[in-house]
Amino acid sequence: MTGINKWITHLTKKNVSIFPLVVFRIIFGILMFFSTLRFILKGWVYDLYEVPTYFFTYYGFDWVSPLSPPFVNILFILLLIACIFIIFGLFYRINTVLFFIIFTYIELIDKTNYLNHYYFVSLISLLLILIPANSYFSLDTYFGICKRKETIKAWQINILKLQIGLVYFFAGISKLNYHWLIEAQPLINWLKHQSDFPIIGKLFLYDFTAYLFSWVSAIFDIFIFFLLIDKRSRLISYFVAFIFHIMTAIMFPIGVFPYVMIASTLIFFNDNFHKKIIDFISKYGLLNSSKSIEEKTNYQTKTNSLLKFFLIGFFTLQFFLPLRFMLYPGKLFWTEQGYRFSWRVMLIEKAGYSQFYIHEPKMDRKMLIQNRDYLTPQQEKMMSTQPDMILQYAHFLSKTFKDSSVVESNGEIIKMGRNPKITADITVSLFNKGSRKFIDSEKNLSEIKRGFGNKEWILDYED
Amino acid sequence: MGVCLVSIFNKIMNTRFLKFFYIISALLIIQSCKKSGCTDPDALNYNIDAQKDDNGCLYEDYDKLSLLTNLADNYIIPSLDAYKSRIITLNIHVDSFIENPSISNLTLLRTNWEEALLSWQDVGFLDFGPSEYILLRKQTNTFPIDTTELNNFITLADWNLEYTSSYDSKGLQALDYLLFKPGHTESELITYFQNNTNAKNYLKALAEDLNQNISYVTNQWVSYREDFINDFEVTQSNFSTNSQGSSISNIINALCLHYEFYVRRGKVGLPLGVFNGFSQLELPELVECYYSGKSTQNLVRSINSLRKYVTGSSYLNNDNGLGLDDYMDFVNAEQNSQQLSTVIDNQFLIILDELNNINGPLSEEIINNKSQITQTYQELQQLVPYIKVDMTSALGVLITYQDNDGD
Repeated sequence: MTGINKWITHLTKKNVSIFPLVVFRIIFGILMFFSTLRFILKGWVYDLYEVPTYFFTYYGFDWVSPLSPPFVNILFILLLIACIFIIFGLFYRINTVLFFIIFTYIELIDKTNYLNHYYFVSLISLLLILIPANSYFSLDTYFGICKRKETIKAWQINILKLQIGLVYFFAGISKLNYHWLIEAQPLINWLKHQSDFPIIGKLFLYDFTAYLFSWVSAIFDIFIFFLLIDKRSRLISYFVAFIFHIMTAIMFPIGVFPYVMIASTLIFFNDNFHKKIIDFISKYGLLNSSKSIEEKTNYQTKTNSLLKFFLIGFFTLQFFLPLRFMLYPGKLFWTEQGYRFSWRVMLIEKAGYSQFYIHEPKMDRKMLIQNRDYLTPQQEKMMSTQPDMILQYAHFLSKTFKDSSVVESNGEIIKMGRNPKITADITVSLFNKGSRKFIDSEKNLSEIKRGFGNKEWILDYED
Repeated sequence: MGVCLVSIFNKIMNTRFLKFFYIISALLIIQSCKKSGCTDPDALNYNIDAQKDDNGCLYEDYDKLSLLTNLADNYIIPSLDAYKSRIITLNIHVDSFIENPSISNLTLLRTNWEEALLSWQDVGFLDFGPSEYILLRKQTNTFPIDTTELNNFITLADWNLEYTSSYDSKGLQALDYLLFKPGHTESELITYFQNNTNAKNYLKALAEDLNQNISYVTNQWVSYREDFINDFEVTQSNFSTNSQGSSISNIINALCLHYEFYVRRGKVGLPLGVFNGFSQLELPELVECYYSGKSTQNLVRSINSLRKYVTGSSYLNNDNGLGLDDYMDFVNAEQNSQQLSTVIDNQFLIILDELNNINGPLSEEIINNKSQITQTYQELQQLVPYIKVDMTSALGVLITYQDNDGD
């Protein structure tokens, strides 16, 4: 018992160098700055938050709605500014809070745009609020806004490491499925389009390569955290991680995610390494790190029990969220119940085609809905394979036509009534095994409640 | 336990992993040096001496460069050239008709217009690159025609065909209206043109506009071909993927968009009334070639051309080359445990079979033979998920097309 207690104390209360945390703050700030800038320059603010007229909100977060055009742009500008403040460590606490709130708010607007790495950024920025990454080599200490210190409590770094570890570990666990390991899906398909890859491209034509990649990446994801925390294997495992992420960056359109992971995992390196980085920056930068240390080890964090419970709750939740899919019957990749927020990255190849119908009350006539009238192509594409979005869209359609009248080309007026019936014909293809019917096309979707319950109107996947 | 695992993995990562990788690589190279024994006569590397199949058939010689080169040189460029020469001939006949509006010249002009439009069906779905840049489809074959605007142009002798707003008063469908004007017998039509210099000028302007557009496209293809077959793309990586902007993505997106919206929906669905509210009343005036009644033959032609294009057949002599079907086979795309390429080709044949039962113009058949047209539409509809879902995802292409209303 004492052993475990000692271990926990070692991982949480021990005084450790602040250098890794400082470097993490700077790199995170820089990466977020450029990825936000990239987002703006690619015109995605306009495409994703101004063009759509309907947004797929998260269940329980339906109150989140996008700001009107000039303000949504201002949010992104604020994000950029917050990044700069975070990099220089000025008004750090306010800016991390600002960053977390704005970033998370933007992600909550529309689940069409859900990406695991956005989720990761939200979590990391939340953790950054709680830790004093500005206590060294920052403008906050330079101006005396906060006290400079060279050591912090171990938990203040370890929560970041644990967060990164959870991402890798669950990304690996999620690969332990029949399709990934036994069929090498979806890589077996994706790699064949990559035969022009420099040097090793021709190897991608062989199924064996897909199996090799599948197995190696599963093993890599599961064990990389353990290899990174052990100093003997750190360098080689970081090197492997680097190659792995660079390859995925070149091969797949996954944006800045690989770079975020390459940069984040630097936090596992020792203090000296980070000291060198800081010295290197200070040699060419404004901030001088070699000033005398005003306060050293006697800094006492009041172990805030609220904070402690928050963190325990936070990580417990993180541990169970990726496993919640087991509460649902059916095939996870088909129903996608419990799919998001689980670090399932590049796991499935899925495409769908949907046709929605609105029914005339008490008659058997129905009208085909033009999805393009309400959704962007991207929204339509994402909606067509994800049941919760299908239901949301059906509810939206029902609401749109509620108590309205449709004038036919022959002048006939059709009253839609209080709760127009909506049905949908949807075909989905999973892992290129051929498109098949996805949901019960007779089911009146407008009558089904949203929520976390099992969606029994999804048809079974038949092999 | 944990430490033990860590150290074992440490060792593997350090030495054995790399060795393992080298050995695997070496094995693969040795294997690929063996004489291939492909026994499939349809395969590119068919080895007539081979006794035993080594499952390596399509792999060795399959590459995107050959596919794109075949499509460019044997279908796209020849078909665009053929359409262009039809338009040039059309221009000549417009000239002689204007000079001498006689019954025989009218007949010749109509025949040549018909040929030009049929030839257009072969290239309509190539709406990427230079064609997409100048909105060739919209400029060439928008229907229905805005006859009020068109007649205003003629009456006021005031038009500018370059304006986007004029697109529904020009192109091959404007000729359909002018050359088959409703309520005019042939001789009345002759009289109309004889007494109407504006109409003659407009006819001339339409033909020249068609020529100008296709000439731009064929000229651009001279240099665009290089970019196209080398899969030049605007994305960050400098080698081929099928991401947005790549040639494969362009081909597929243009194909799916054209088929879904301008063939299935525009040529059949809209006039049939499938998209017309709850009543689904027929809207026969929305068919292609409403005035000449040539809608059916053009629909048949466009399905035939799409099929030819997907199978990578040569435009001029129908020789089968590398096409999207081979690409689908290459990635083992399946539908209902059949090869996806076979399923798609069969669906094309089913559609053509249904079309065989339609004799008159679609505008009449929609009313008189509605069950047959509905049946045909259902078969056309069935092809949409095959190409839009199954084919695109098999070929790793994202459907990117944006909203685009009307035809």
